[in-house]
Amino acid sequence: MTTPELTIPQRHRKVSATLWVGLVLVGLHVAVALLSLVWTPYDPLGMTGGRLEAPSWAHWAGTDRLGRDFFTQIMLGSQIALVVGAGAVAIGGAIGVTLGLLAAFASRWLDDALAATLDILIAFPTLLIAMLVVAASDEASLFTAILAIGIALSAIVARLTRILAKRVLLLDYITAARTSGTSWMGIVLIHVLPNIWPTLAVNFALQFGLAAIAEASLSYLGLGAPPPNASWGHLLQEAQGTVYTAPIGAFAPGLALVILVVGINLLADGLRDVADPTRSAQR
Amino acid sequence: MRPVLDIADLSIAANGKTLLDKVSLSIAPGERVGLIGESGSGKSLTALAAIGLLAPGLTATGAISLDGRDVIGASERSMVSLRGNVTATVFQEPLTALDPLQPVGRQIAEPLRRRLRRDGEAAGRTDVVAGVQDLLAQVALPDPLALSRRYPHELSGGQRQRVAIAMALACRPQLLIADEPTTALDVTTQAEILRLLAKLVADNGMALLFISHDLPVVARVVDRVVVMQHGVVVEAGPVGEVFSRPQHDYTRSLVAAARSFDGALEGAA
Repeated sequence: MTTPELTIPQRHRKVSATLWVGLVLVGLHVAVALLSLVWTPYDPLGMTGGRLEAPSWAHWAGTDRLGRDFFTQIMLGSQIALVVGAGAVAIGGAIGVTLGLLAAFASRWLDDALAATLDILIAFPTLLIAMLVVAASDEASLFTAILAIGIALSAIVARLTRILAKRVLLLDYITAARTSGTSWMGIVLIHVLPNIWPTLAVNFALQFGLAAIAEASLSYLGLGAPPPNASWGHLLQEAQGTVYTAPIGAFAPGLALVILVVGINLLADGLRDVADPTRSAQR
Repeated sequence: MRPVLDIADLSIAANGKTLLDKVSLSIAPGERVGLIGESGSGKSLTALAAIGLLAPGLTATGAISLDGRDVIGASERSMVSLRGNVTATVFQEPLTALDPLQPVGRQIAEPLRRRLRRDGEAAGRTDVVAGVQDLLAQVALPDPLALSRRYPHELSGGQRQRVAIAMALACRPQLLIADEPTTALDVTTQAEILRLLAKLVADNGMALLFISHDLPVVARVVDRVVVMQHGVVVEAGPVGEVFSRPQHDYTRSLVAAARSFDGALEGAA
């Protein structure tokens, strides 16, 4: 039909090293989590060794107080961290983007009210809001943890969406679309969301990391998924009493969490470079 | 014949400050009217008010009738259909007037599809694609098929403005509002776009509201001019009359400025 080189958009698609390292670190966790669905070295609840064994070939991360294999539990912890991260970002994103768009399109009065509410919500620590949500629900479960963190994150997403959408709404192409008779819904779907999406996606990645930390914190406080769920926060809490005799118990889950969060932050940073060609050009 | 746009005694105020004071303006079907004035004189504000797109916080009094329907006090829902059916707008800055993340073909397809459905014509994929090619050809863009897949930042300023005009044409409006459409372009491109606009307006039988601060530019495309200063209409009439025998001091100074510029050019040549 036509010459293909003319039709390919000339966008910068240079993938940075940051993005690669992030992808590898996050990919490692995803692979481990998927693997743990079908196979773990030991039965996670089975007392397969002596109590508080040091790392060995048989037990890579040693055993816990009850003689259960610690590496198995950390593998299962990956599942929880990823599920909570994805679930919380999905809930926070859905609520946040909807509220943010509503505020951007709302009358001045409603917008001011929403913006003030969001500012107040953001002033509360994420963990505190999440604890309140868990406290208000009947019992602590994995789902309440996801919901709690999602709600806590939604305020940040909403504020970002509101600002981004407002900036896009000022541009001439929105006015052009309105003069040609595009409805509000059409403007949101065709013009606003695609134009704010790159920034939102980067923010979602960062929120994912925050959610993983928040989940570990909730579990550490006993407000996350109840045992026998092997959340990293729960593992840390259990290892607390034996931190001098068996330091690996406190070290290993912490390391797993750090690898995931660092990986996600690098991924987010790399994604930003891809999404914004002017940034990568400056490097 | 009923005017496409009839503005009577339109006043607009923001926080008690008067921005427009009793502006009246009427455009008959097929008529080409120029709205002239320095920046801040209320030209664009008048145009935005005419299509019901005033920023919140501005209060309008008076009467605006677009294709016989009242604009002031109309609901947003009724305005959405009215705007697309009756008017279309071409803006000053063609880069911001196009969505940076969509190929231009898709951006033209959107109002086109709406217009085809409105007119009860076939609006299938192939009809729309053919329509887009046709519009791109109408605005004299070469190789429409390849061009329709490009993004706005891959086009030159003049090409972008042609795409913006094609988008406006896709609505097949009775009234085309051109808000300083040539100001951001270089002089040669300016002349081409002006010729194109004049031709398209004549071919499609559209009325034109041409907003500009540039006297010679306006004189080339319109039949009648309305001169504004500080939110007030100071003079109105056929182009030749207003420019050859300006009545108001401000119009006189505009004409004199344009003449002295021409004179300087000729003197230098």
